[in-house]
Amino acid sequence: MLGMKRSTLFAMLMGETIWNSLISILIGLPIALFLTEGISLATVKLVGLGIIGHRISFSISAVIGTVIGFIAVQMIAMLLLSASFSRKEPMELLRSDSPEKQVPLSTKKGWLCFIVGLVFLILAYVVGVTMLRSFDFNIVMLIIILGGGGTFLLYRGMGIFIGHNIQRKSPMRSGLFTFTGRQIHENVIHQYKALAISSLLLVMALACVSFGIGTASGRGSMEVRTVDFSIEGSEQEVREVLDSEASKSIISEYYPMFLSRMNTNLYDQSGEILEKRPEAHDFSWDGLNATLAKLPETDLRNNMIESFSDRSGPYLISKASYNELLQAIGKEQIQLKRNQVALYTSMKDSGDFMSILNGALELGAYIEVDDQKYELLSSVYYDNVVADRKITLYSALIVPDEDYRNWVSGASTPFCWNVVLSQELVNDKGLMQAIQLMEQNLAGTGLEYETFLSGIGRNLFYTVAASYLTIYLGILFMVIANTVIGLKYLMQQRANERRYTTLLMLGANVSQLCKSARSQIRMFFALALSVAVCSSIFAIWSMFTSFLKLPAGTSIVKVIAITGIAAVLFVVIELIYIHIVERASSREIQALQVIDRG
Amino acid sequence: MSSNRVLEVEGVTKVYGKGDNKTEALRGISFDVLEGEFLGIMGASGSGKTTLLNCIATMIKPSSGRVLLKGKDISAFKGVQLADYRGQEIGYLFQEFELLDNLTARENIILPLSLHGVTGHQAEQGLKELANRLDITDVLDKFPSQMSGGQKQRVAAARALISKPSIVLADEPTGALDSKNSKVLMDKLSAINKEQNKTIVMVTHNANAASYCSRILFIQDGRLFHELRKNIETENSASFYERIVTVMAQLGGGSANVL
Repeated sequence: MLGMKRSTLFAMLMGETIWNSLISILIGLPIALFLTEGISLATVKLVGLGIIGHRISFSISAVIGTVIGFIAVQMIAMLLLSASFSRKEPMELLRSDSPEKQVPLSTKKGWLCFIVGLVFLILAYVVGVTMLRSFDFNIVMLIIILGGGGTFLLYRGMGIFIGHNIQRKSPMRSGLFTFTGRQIHENVIHQYKALAISSLLLVMALACVSFGIGTASGRGSMEVRTVDFSIEGSEQEVREVLDSEASKSIISEYYPMFLSRMNTNLYDQSGEILEKRPEAHDFSWDGLNATLAKLPETDLRNNMIESFSDRSGPYLISKASYNELLQAIGKEQIQLKRNQVALYTSMKDSGDFMSILNGALELGAYIEVDDQKYELLSSVYYDNVVADRKITLYSALIVPDEDYRNWVSGASTPFCWNVVLSQELVNDKGLMQAIQLMEQNLAGTGLEYETFLSGIGRNLFYTVAASYLTIYLGILFMVIANTVIGLKYLMQQRANERRYTTLLMLGANVSQLCKSARSQIRMFFALALSVAVCSSIFAIWSMFTSFLKLPAGTSIVKVIAITGIAAVLFVVIELIYIHIVERASSREIQALQVIDRG
Repeated sequence: MSSNRVLEVEGVTKVYGKGDNKTEALRGISFDVLEGEFLGIMGASGSGKTTLLNCIATMIKPSSGRVLLKGKDISAFKGVQLADYRGQEIGYLFQEFELLDNLTARENIILPLSLHGVTGHQAEQGLKELANRLDITDVLDKFPSQMSGGQKQRVAAARALISKPSIVLADEPTGALDSKNSKVLMDKLSAINKEQNKTIVMVTHNANAASYCSRILFIQDGRLFHELRKNIETENSASFYERIVTVMAQLGGGSANVL
């Protein structure tokens, strides 16, 4: 109005944006660094490294990337905002506080939006629960389109619903009921996009947090320590190190792990012999496959039958080695009678796989070696046989030592030597430092070894990446969603300040207005939350029945307890947010009272 | 006759700011309003007429002096008493209507009653009568954005009258209306004043609107400058209008005060 050029105004706004961004970064970066270091210290503490072993990592390129990214996002947002402002007449800008006009939607259109939205959402739920068995891109896209579109349409049409309700009820009610209702009505009509986005963000928040908890619980169940070190080398070399005075004090026991493949011919997929071997044994899983075939047909069962049709040398573990391991972790030892073997797998995290296998074993499965039937024990064994988690065994057979010697060529050489550290030492110094002590003894001996920790390191990486990150993302989404809802409400209230002043003039008292604002805030939050919680239930249900199956051994009580705590935290955070917005709103209303309108 | 004195304004002053920035908007104004009177308050822009009205409406606290409504000092009101006074004893008509634009006309009108515990059903009879009288029956279920300026102001008038207040305060009620709608509104207000003996205090700088009043107070620089009284038996609106214009010329308020 006073003659400033648009370009100068634009430059001023941009300059202000850059300045504000720089200040935010200056404050935000140190806090972010402090937080990440805190998290990584907590991670380190979890594995028993202690603070001494922790190194602070700082990447200049990451900092520069963050700064550039942050400023770019701010500039783009400002650019979009300026573009919308530049289209307005100066008069509109002068009266920017005038609220949008109430334009009633046509009833038909409103109902249509509401019903189509509801149908879309229900379809998304059904598809999610019934069809999402694995990460199929097309199905995921379908769910996103149905769910997202449904949520938007539902909120678009919800205004009609609320308006209808107010019209019906208001003649019977007094006080600010009609005003409160109309405010909510108007908020839903004008802010339906914000509501839908917040609601979707809340669904993502809840799903991310659940995924994080699920992953953390799942991984957590794997952390049963069976072996601390697996050392490869000749018996003499290994014994020399392990029997030394320095090692004796830190080792509670060590034993050879006899693990090898049965000496058979090599077969291709069709069962034809690829390579003949001398003194080869004839092996078959047919007895197990026969019982598997009796179980209900699923894709997984069919895959298993196919895998067990391979007659090439299965992995064998000697009973004595495995019993040593069981004894080290305090489990009952295996008793094998004549012509009995036990089935082993390290795929214990796949609940379906384990239940199918157990089902087949309970029906009385057997294997055949050189036309002799060997009965399989009715339960599957799954404790890690070496320290390195990288080594997985789809299937193996725990066999009596005599059979092991007969069926394996070179049976006198163990696969590795397993070492279990002294529990007192681990309790005293933490696992990480105990392992470091043992590593000092092994250094320079030329022996190759794997530690539980290098295995757990890999494992921890997945846990941190999958669980902490998703929980963090979930919290971030939740904060954004709540901030959007709160700010949208407060902005709307600010824009409608004159209404509150008029109400004061008409004889409303401040406490009535504050009460009305509180109801509006609660309703506004409830509208976003109700759809979000409903969608989340299906999202989480779908997630836990498809790609996030909890491992068979996971304690349900523990998962429920953690989920319960997370749910309570969620409610508490929501209540805090609502309370903060309520207080801000009450402050604004109370400030109106002293305004002189002259 | 103190018995039919509805409003008594006694030496009201209003000072804004402090020290060098002090502005005296009202410098000790005193007058009475009798029951059934249609009082006009006129003056140049910045003369303090709206400040005076707002002091009566309890929107502004006077720096000194008293405002008595039916003998009660309203400047001392607080909390519930203040809310009751605003909702039940006075009806306020704003220049910009101040209708809540997310409420229908019906909901707007009965708002002062609902704030004091009356339901829509209970208010229906009074609402119907007022809507008929103000000719707004057709727009009762419409939102303000769907009404004309004249309809909005008549809806606002209905809202000011629904609680049967002791006094109606109107701040330039024709300020945002064209001449035709101004005339319709003033005719309606005048009829209500005469037929229901409703006391109205109206601030205006529109001589045409002021000619409907029975008495006019002229304010200049925060003080009472002149008073005009309409001779109801002998004088018609046209000749009263002539007298008003003459006083306004004397006031020398410039073009803002001349139609």
